[in-house]
Amino acid sequence: MITTKNISKNFGSFQALHDVSFKINPGEIVGFLGLNGAGKTTLMRILTSYLPASSGLVLIDGEDIVENSLAIRQKIGYLPETPPLYSNMSVRDYLKFAAEIKGIPANQRKSQLNKVIEECQLGDVSHKSIATLSKGYKQRTGIAQAIIHQPKILILDEPTSGLDPIQNLQLRNLITNLKDQRTVIISTHILSEIEQIAQRVLIIRAGQIIVDESLETLLNSGVSAKSGAPEQSGTLSLEEVFINLHDDLSVKQFG
Amino acid sequence: MDKIFFIAKKELAAYFKSPVAYIILVLAISIFNFFFFIIIDHNREASLRDVFRVMEFIFVFFAPLLTMRVFSEEKLTGTMEFLMTAPVSNTAIVLGKYAGVLVFFTIMVSLTFVYYGIIEYFGNPDLIATVSGYVGIWLEGAFFLAIGMMASSWTRNQIVAAMTSYMFIFSLYFSTNLTRYFEGSVARFFQHLSTTNHLENLVAGIITIGDITYYLSGIFVCVVLTRLSIENRLY
Repeated sequence: MITTKNISKNFGSFQALHDVSFKINPGEIVGFLGLNGAGKTTLMRILTSYLPASSGLVLIDGEDIVENSLAIRQKIGYLPETPPLYSNMSVRDYLKFAAEIKGIPANQRKSQLNKVIEECQLGDVSHKSIATLSKGYKQRTGIAQAIIHQPKILILDEPTSGLDPIQNLQLRNLITNLKDQRTVIISTHILSEIEQIAQRVLIIRAGQIIVDESLETLLNSGVSAKSGAPEQSGTLSLEEVFINLHDDLSVKQFG
Repeated sequence: MDKIFFIAKKELAAYFKSPVAYIILVLAISIFNFFFFIIIDHNREASLRDVFRVMEFIFVFFAPLLTMRVFSEEKLTGTMEFLMTAPVSNTAIVLGKYAGVLVFFTIMVSLTFVYYGIIEYFGNPDLIATVSGYVGIWLEGAFFLAIGMMASSWTRNQIVAAMTSYMFIFSLYFSTNLTRYFEGSVARFFQHLSTTNHLENLVAGIITIGDITYYLSGIFVCVVLTRLSIENRLY
């Protein structure tokens, strides 16, 4: 469904992504992991066609995202790192606007609007101004706009960052419910979340993919950069694997 | 086409949710009213010619205030990413936003139509000259707004956007004053560049293709440059 071939992205002399290639199959839940500045957001922005790649190709359902940008954007729901909200609008007005510009037919707009408000548990605040919402509700409103047009692909950039534990749990449950219906790409710094949600992990470091494994394989095979020896099956958490990978610069051949 | 309408509607609603829009509206109409009565009292003639000149001068200052937030605010708050990853073309985004600003501006101008009613009641004004004058100030305002929108697409800072617009608009508005320092083709260039020269014919009731083309081509260039700016992510 999503295929990237040798994507590179340069910002002036800085290379944010270097020769990134991977395939994501329909229905997969993939976690993008990496340190700050590793290139996760840049990669997500390229997948959503917000940024063009400097070189390389992105195909979604076999179609080039540059040549068929508008048709492909219809298939994608995207929540950027900072929820893109109009603070002077109410939640309902904002979602109505999202439904309009995402091309939902007029006769389905209202029902779709009510559906996402219910799905994202925004009923209590739907008439409130976005400016007055808590961070958790703002994040949910951001997710609601991303799913309102029922996209086949959902791309969430750090959806739980800055939330308290309860909001975090609520949002994770929401994402867990959404994943049954679509392909989800999620980036986060909270590795335990990825362990609970994702089936596959892509670890990005300095603009390159250093690990592309199923979560199960990654946790079972383990890697200890300090000892260089494989750990016993199931003894490492994703956090330990992640830290080990970033301790050792020679793990590019992992897997 | 419908997406242009939705974006324009959102843009217009944003104006009326902001106190800045009401302040601009009230301030502009108060200034227009003040000068309308001063001019009518002084000239003692049933004509809006001098009122149009005042309106033109006020638009020089108000157009950047109306447009400074159009793109820069979207960039600052991150909603630009929302618009540009939605299935909407860049052209529709630019035209939708421009249409929203134009409708607000048209509402502002239409509130002055009452002036014609007043001079019609007391005198015998030239309807053609009044209509052509309104066409002229509307086109000039639309040109200033297109410049403001273009400047707003270059930065995420509203103050920088307004200052950049002022620089362009002042250059166009006051370029006629430079003609006295030059001769020949350079003087003619500044004369042609000047917005006041083009409006002069229209407020006098003379509609020429050259004047209309000047405004429309200026608007077109600004809209195209705005589209290029957001397409190339010049921020």
